[in-house]
Amino acid sequence: MPAAHCRPLMSETLPDPDLVAALPRLRRYARVLTGDVHRADDLVQDTLARAWAKRRLWRAGSDLRAWLFTIMHNVHANQHALRRRELAESSLDADNGPVAGWEIPVRATHDDRVELAEVLLLIGRLPSDQREVLVLAAVEELRYDEIAHVQGVPIGTVMSRLNRAREKLRRMTADRPAALKVVR
Amino acid sequence: MSPALPLTDDDLNAYADGQVPPERAREIASALEREPALAARVAEIRRMNARLRDALDPWLDEPSPRELVSAAERPRRGRTGVPWAAWSALAAAASLTVGLGLGWLLRGEMLQEAGTPVTFQRQAALTHALYATDANRPVEIWANEEERLVRWLSKRLSYPLHAPNLNGAGFALVGGRLVAGNERPGAQFMYENADKQRISLLVRKDGAHSRETAFRYAQEDGVSVFYWIDDVCGYALSGNIDKAQLLAIARVAYGQIAASEATPPPKP
Repeated sequence: MPAAHCRPLMSETLPDPDLVAALPRLRRYARVLTGDVHRADDLVQDTLARAWAKRRLWRAGSDLRAWLFTIMHNVHANQHALRRRELAESSLDADNGPVAGWEIPVRATHDDRVELAEVLLLIGRLPSDQREVLVLAAVEELRYDEIAHVQGVPIGTVMSRLNRAREKLRRMTADRPAALKVVR
Repeated sequence: MSPALPLTDDDLNAYADGQVPPERAREIASALEREPALAARVAEIRRMNARLRDALDPWLDEPSPRELVSAAERPRRGRTGVPWAAWSALAAAASLTVGLGLGWLLRGEMLQEAGTPVTFQRQAALTHALYATDANRPVEIWANEEERLVRWLSKRLSYPLHAPNLNGAGFALVGGRLVAGNERPGAQFMYENADKQRISLLVRKDGAHSRETAFRYAQEDGVSVFYWIDDVCGYALSGNIDKAQLLAIARVAYGQIAASEATPPPKP
């Protein structure tokens, strides 16, 4: 009786070509989380190690990207909590001041860099959980329920974070349309 | 129609993000036709979405670092017991011989794009060509005052420097000087062999912690340069000697500098 439900639970189903293909998006999201290019790549590295360690928890056929973002969110949250205890301060979660340490892609054209710098300034001023939701929804185009899973919060929280993020952006862009200076 | 109203913020966000089921989307769409202010908000959300995507998408075109690619690939079965650090050390060693450091590649580009007049390697070559050919005054402070020289340059660069000992490669320290850099000063150490051939090591302190890179080779105006970044400093070894010999000496210098960094300098 080769029962169908006997699908081996221990199989290594994680497809590494897909993991490699997901790298650019992982790196981008890590930059959004950390606000720092080098710390972002460290975070990606830790996320991948964790993904392989937890590969049996991944359900084949589900969205690998959302799963990886979830792992990254948790790894970052743990590291962030640790660092916060160490430093007793957090520049990233502060509700004011742009995030330092972002770098502009070197291959970008001049106009691209100006625009990216402005956008980074804008979203850098959002609290991190709002910035996360905004980027996952607007840039990564994840479903709200997937974002809720990534952040480990109810979907209603995602909706209100998204709304607050957009309200802030609206006020920032309306308040000082020309005041946003390019940093580099 | 009526069940679509009133529209909430959540409705507008979900609609703008394309996250409502088709029949609800139709209801909202027809409600928006009667509410130009709300329609404008939806349009604004979509504009901002597009702006975010357009701004952040170029990041996706960056090549992934090799160590991340190997971290994404399936770990060896049964665990070979070789930790990541060892693998990356191996990879670094391999790239050392290839002389291909992606980090530097990008970095050089970045420096140029940032409006910097010359790249570091070019500055090294030009500085070398300028002073190595000067028979009488190749250096500002001669090697007989090495201690003073190193102390002075360390102070000017705000970094504990170390003049590598290249005697083993047949090159003796002639001395050194402070040179102007693009943003910060650099320190140049000059060496000479028995045939009066000269090579020089240019050291520049970078603002922030940079990534370590493998050796990279450049030829600028006929001068061969091997350059690399280690910790917060950029190093460039320049000379008109055989490329393989120059690389061998660069390795010696690199090893000594790394060793001196590993052991904190004694308190004066």
